[in-house]
Amino acid sequence: MNILLVCAAGMSTSLLVSKMKEAADSKGVNVTIQAVSADQAQKHLDEIDVLLLGPQVRYKLPQFKKEGEKRGIPVDVINPADYGRINGQGVLEFALRLIGEGANPR
Amino acid sequence: MNRFIQALEKYLMPVAGRVAEQKHLQSIRDGIILAMPMIIIGSLFLILGNLPIPGYNDFMSGLFGEQWLEKLMYPVGATFDIMALIVSFGVAYRLAEKYHVEPLSAGAISLAAFLLATPYEVTFTPEGTNETIMVGGGIPIQWVGSEGLFVALILAILSTEIYRKIIEKNIVIRLPEGVPPAVAKSFIALIPGFAVVCVVWLVRLLLEITPFESYHQIVSTLLHQPLSLLGGSLAGALIAVLLIQLLWSTGLHGAAIVGGVMGPIWLSLMDQNRRIFQADPNAELPNIVTAQFIDLWVHIGGSGTTLALVIAMVLRAKSKQLKNIGRLAIGPGVFNINEPVIFGMPIVMNPLLIIPFILAPTAVVAVSYLAMSTGLAAKPSGVAVPWTTPLFVSGYLATGKISGMVLQLVNFVIAFAIYYPFFKIWDKQKLQEENQSDQSTQHVA
Repeated sequence: MNILLVCAAGMSTSLLVSKMKEAADSKGVNVTIQAVSADQAQKHLDEIDVLLLGPQVRYKLPQFKKEGEKRGIPVDVINPADYGRINGQGVLEFALRLIGEGANPR
Repeated sequence: MNRFIQALEKYLMPVAGRVAEQKHLQSIRDGIILAMPMIIIGSLFLILGNLPIPGYNDFMSGLFGEQWLEKLMYPVGATFDIMALIVSFGVAYRLAEKYHVEPLSAGAISLAAFLLATPYEVTFTPEGTNETIMVGGGIPIQWVGSEGLFVALILAILSTEIYRKIIEKNIVIRLPEGVPPAVAKSFIALIPGFAVVCVVWLVRLLLEITPFESYHQIVSTLLHQPLSLLGGSLAGALIAVLLIQLLWSTGLHGAAIVGGVMGPIWLSLMDQNRRIFQADPNAELPNIVTAQFIDLWVHIGGSGTTLALVIAMVLRAKSKQLKNIGRLAIGPGVFNINEPVIFGMPIVMNPLLIIPFILAPTAVVAVSYLAMSTGLAAKPSGVAVPWTTPLFVSGYLATGKISGMVLQLVNFVIAFAIYYPFFKIWDKQKLQEENQSDQSTQHVA
């Protein structure tokens, strides 16, 4: 599974990436997690299973939702409290839940 | 206060969203990023040439010869002085990407359009005379650096819009299948590129019969100068910082949004200082408010000067929650990243903490401006220190003077004093909540 996190410069999300990887390792889930800046995100859209936006760039949600719908990828904003507390496990679970829902037959 | 936050969310959020979503502003911001690594590399050489160590100049001359400084400045010219060229390509590239048309072609066309707008004339003073004459056949450094930034931005957007419209109308030469894709792509750019060149060329011919004579003159007179005056003033800096804070208060990345508009202005003000500093490190610099002023003296610890708040949490928090946030936020905070504080404490949508979050950076702007304008502290020299550089190191490198560090310390102390009482109230509240929930769980047990 391939999770993409997006924020303004890809800086603060990269903190979250390492915490999410820790959580994934301890749960034994096999995932690839990357953090990029918003202008780089476009390039990765075809290789991911879910896209999560930092709350500070939530104004980009409509734009990425559209891109996500084209490809059948779920797109959502990370809960601000989880983001602030760098809750890797919470955000990982959120991402996995979104992927699960996206995989349901529509 | 709650109503104030609701109003912020209601009125600011959609406007901010629209500004941040605006394709052209986005492309300007993302395109300028292409020039930033170059400028930082150039800055490194600029710092090396002007280390404020007594005897340094003589030492270097002894080691590498009298011409050492001139030679050391070659990379500075090759990075700073072609800023507009890089930006011209970068902005067109990013905009074309957003329209899903071939970005490389758009960048190349934009670059050609920009040079077409620039007269190939340089000034030259022959030896033994004081008279300056114009010589043809050279690309003028004056216009392809920061002075040409606005022309580059305008033409990048104009040329990419023309390019995209023609592609979308499908007025292109398509080669038969079997032709390599790279060749086919370059032919697709042929007609749109031709249209762009014709438009820019005709406008140039028209401008040449007006008193402005060139794109650069008209943009400088009508846009560059007035914007620089506004953006470089104390009021301009206060308004920009206030907007950044208000946007962050609703949880939106204020620095990225406001930076999209102010970026080019602050960048060209920075480069004005750089040119004067490079010519004479002891000269009086013209600008106080530059990209570095905001990044290094105001955003200490991130937007909102929050490093002081994080230190307060680390040293004095009694509640578990704030102790934890402090521990989480101190590492990134040293490198001026503060999302953990903003969303974790949280400051966002928090009527109490928004007060110091707005007060501290605005106070710091005013104090820094005053200190620099009265000469108490050195102005930023135009050296581009990355915004992630820790406190004190950044202040020293960006000015080459100790006073740059001292001003950062003063700003930190001011921010600490403003945040502290609010932090205490919030900490007490959190502690009470924690005690209550402890008691209730004990009760149940």
